[in-house]
Amino acid sequence: MLALAVVATIGFVGLLGQLWYLQALEGGRLQEMSDKNRIRIRPVAAPRGILFDRSGLPLVDNRPAFTLSFIPREMEDRDTVIARLSILLKISVAELQESVDRVPADSLRPVRVRRGLSLEDVTKVEELKLELPGVIVEVEPQRVYPTSTFAAHLLGYVREVSEEQMKHGRYRRGDMIGQTGLERLLDEHLRGRDGGERIEVDALGRPVQLMKREEPNPGAQVITTVDRRIQEAAEAAMAGHAGAVVVMDPRSGDVLAMTSSPAFALDQFTGNLDREEWLRLVRDPMTPLMNRALQSQYAPGSVFKVIVAAAGLQEGSLTPADRTYCNGEFHMGAWTFKDWKEGGHGHVDLRSSLIHSCNVFFYQAGLKVGPEAIVRYARAFGLGSPAGAELGGEKPGLIPFVSPPRGRHGRGWQAGDTINVSIGQGPVLVTPMQVARMMAAVANGGILWKPRLVQRVDKVDGTLAYATSTKMTGHVDLSPVVWAFLRNALVGVVNEGGTGAAARIPGISVAGKTGTAQSVAKSDAAKGQDHAWFASFAPADDPQVVVVVLVERGGKGGQVAAPIARRIYQAIFLDKVAMVTLGEES
Amino acid sequence: MLRLDRRLLLNVDWPLLATALFIIGLSVLSLWTLVPGRGSSVGGSALAWRQISWVGIGLIALLVVVSVDYRSLVRVAPLLYVGGTALLLAVLMLGRTVSGARRWIHLGPITFQPSELFKLAFVLMLAWVLTFRRDESLSRATLIATFAIVAVPFLLVVRQPDLGTALVLVPVLIAVLVGVGMRLRVLAACALAGVAALPLFWFVLKQYQRDRLLVYLDPFRDPLGTAYNVIQAKIAIGSGQLLGKGVSGATQSRLAFLPERHTDFVFAVFAEMWGFIGCLVLIAAYSLLVLRGFEIAASTREPRGRVLALGVTAVFATQTLVNLGMVTGLLPVVGIPLPLMSYGGSSMVASLMGLGLLLSIRMRQFR
Repeated sequence: MLALAVVATIGFVGLLGQLWYLQALEGGRLQEMSDKNRIRIRPVAAPRGILFDRSGLPLVDNRPAFTLSFIPREMEDRDTVIARLSILLKISVAELQESVDRVPADSLRPVRVRRGLSLEDVTKVEELKLELPGVIVEVEPQRVYPTSTFAAHLLGYVREVSEEQMKHGRYRRGDMIGQTGLERLLDEHLRGRDGGERIEVDALGRPVQLMKREEPNPGAQVITTVDRRIQEAAEAAMAGHAGAVVVMDPRSGDVLAMTSSPAFALDQFTGNLDREEWLRLVRDPMTPLMNRALQSQYAPGSVFKVIVAAAGLQEGSLTPADRTYCNGEFHMGAWTFKDWKEGGHGHVDLRSSLIHSCNVFFYQAGLKVGPEAIVRYARAFGLGSPAGAELGGEKPGLIPFVSPPRGRHGRGWQAGDTINVSIGQGPVLVTPMQVARMMAAVANGGILWKPRLVQRVDKVDGTLAYATSTKMTGHVDLSPVVWAFLRNALVGVVNEGGTGAAARIPGISVAGKTGTAQSVAKSDAAKGQDHAWFASFAPADDPQVVVVVLVERGGKGGQVAAPIARRIYQAIFLDKVAMVTLGEES
Repeated sequence: MLRLDRRLLLNVDWPLLATALFIIGLSVLSLWTLVPGRGSSVGGSALAWRQISWVGIGLIALLVVVSVDYRSLVRVAPLLYVGGTALLLAVLMLGRTVSGARRWIHLGPITFQPSELFKLAFVLMLAWVLTFRRDESLSRATLIATFAIVAVPFLLVVRQPDLGTALVLVPVLIAVLVGVGMRLRVLAACALAGVAALPLFWFVLKQYQRDRLLVYLDPFRDPLGTAYNVIQAKIAIGSGQLLGKGVSGATQSRLAFLPERHTDFVFAVFAEMWGFIGCLVLIAAYSLLVLRGFEIAASTREPRGRVLALGVTAVFATQTLVNLGMVTGLLPVVGIPLPLMSYGGSSMVASLMGLGLLLSIRMRQFR
């Protein structure tokens, strides 16, 4: 009997030993585990900073959107939950499965499964909440756009961070980050800092009480250089065409508008872009994702004659008095170079050759000026190297190196090349942004600006995060007489019945140069469809805006691009509100 | 029948009764603080009130047991034993299944667990067999008979499946045999035979019972499945630390992380709220009960009373130690309620009846 009592006592003492171990020795650790059981930390997404135009009009905005998320640890019977949800919301099982497979099964952090849930779907999920353990609906701010394609390439799209991007640290799974355009350039400022909530939950994961809330820190506000009205006008004017428009202030290098068409729908990326849609965008032969203003290179065509004229006048190899007779053809050796106008322009001088874009005159002029000088001046005008808009992926264009002719086998620079280059064909490529910079230099007397897209970034508390100033990155040294000649000739292009007559607006003196660039024909169907250029500024006596229009395979610059520029000028100068806006900023 | 000798009343073991009532009080208090959890619409106070009514019924049963001479109960033990076995059989045939185990019989509005009451019939039967022949020494026939009366219900209960109850019967048998003076050599032989039979036993077990045993050996085998109970109970107990988290701070219990928290794991609720200090008091109370039980058995000259007191105490001690052992993670989870603490009518009534037997035996030693 005593033995039994001893055994029982040993049992009780052993229990006390275990309790001492659990409660005194392991107590602290187990206390933490019990907190981990009951406390959930839910991230609260910070609203992304807003981008404004130069007069304070918003270019994008945020609105609350619903996001479907999983908390893997709380999904009791994962397969059943996924199957139910799949039927309920018509999302494929594979997609749901994939999103949970990426994280550990006992993770407590919500995994975003689908963004931009409709109110109807939210209701469905909330009604079946008890049958869907571990499924929650979060409210997150999401981007909204005035129209889905508005300034798509300039602003850029926002999309969930990819696995690849996560490898570089900085981002957490599910973060929405700017992937292109200004959204990417300024992502660090726009993103803000996420807040968080400490929630006490019961064993079923149902919230019992909110313990603490740390408010998110909204992203900074960006004041761009863009003028929303001009941007809208440019997009409207380009409707139905493929190409690009750049509108720049020649006094500062501020980019007032930049469009590329066809554009893509920005809001397509905010929700869930499925693989097929993505591939469709990437494989589209019209490359809607490409920003043509910066990333496409085209032959400048006759726009390049401005460079040849500037080089010749400044170097003294050309004078305004040079004359020639254009019969529509130019012969050199066995080669015949044609003018675009059948029968030719008759008697022409330098000015009228610019106005009517006479090729024959410029073939001869190019040979007189020489390829070295042409290339040197082209580089001085900023061609052949990226314009510096900082949006990423910007192309340098192409200005050739003139190499001396080599033996029989090597093909060095030849006179035919000079002839081609003189009218902007051959081995010369430019981007619309480069042309805009070049025309700005013509308008302002030689200053090459670094294109400016962002004026400043304001933190939420109103303090300045940073500001950019206008930046001159080069200067073209021409005598004032040469500048005056060029400007005067370009006014004539539009106002004296020249090739740019379609851009003429009574009361506003528009100066410009048309260009019709032979495109590299990709197929027979595209053959003969040339790229249409119109590079211009106005008003000619006090230039405030540069407008460069490029229409891919549009035909003749004067017939296609110039009317588009005209509509943009009308919107800028005949719309009084826009005038005031410009006036304030200047 | 309820004629109580005044002299008997003088010999009531008040400390024993008071300790038991103290533990019951703590039980009601712990239940009171629980909020409704998963799958049950019953709140804590409703649970506490029901437990109080069970205590009331149990106390009446206790009075009945006390008023009857335990010797006459031993005399009818075979009848009770056969009746009890029949009930176990009935459970096996038409019982209600709760979480994989068939332990309950549904009688109109009441469900009860025959295995709880059977433990008492079993102890009475043991006393009957061991005192059937008047000689003191343990004959081989008697030994075989005792094994037989364990084997039959053991198989039935394991099939129910109610591993906990089945496992309680074995230590009780050993304790009683040791108590009546079985030679150690025989005991050792039996133990050896028992160990040899263990692999056979494995095949009788249901899969979930095997899982539980495996999880006991390695709790993190399946942290969200079978081991969940054990881990959560450890967290609850440990997070109580020295002084406890109090009623409102006991998040493991309050937020229902602890499963079975009003029944088998009620001790974890208590430990979370009152900490090591509280546990010390509770365990002291249980030790007092058990040691007092052994003392009653030791001081009883009358053979039937002696074996009976020993048996009842052994049942009580085994259940308490196994339950606390499993809740604190020392033993595998086998599904045994904590006597006087866990919510449940059958267990409460059976425990109080057992207590009644002890009181009755002690009272009647002084005539």
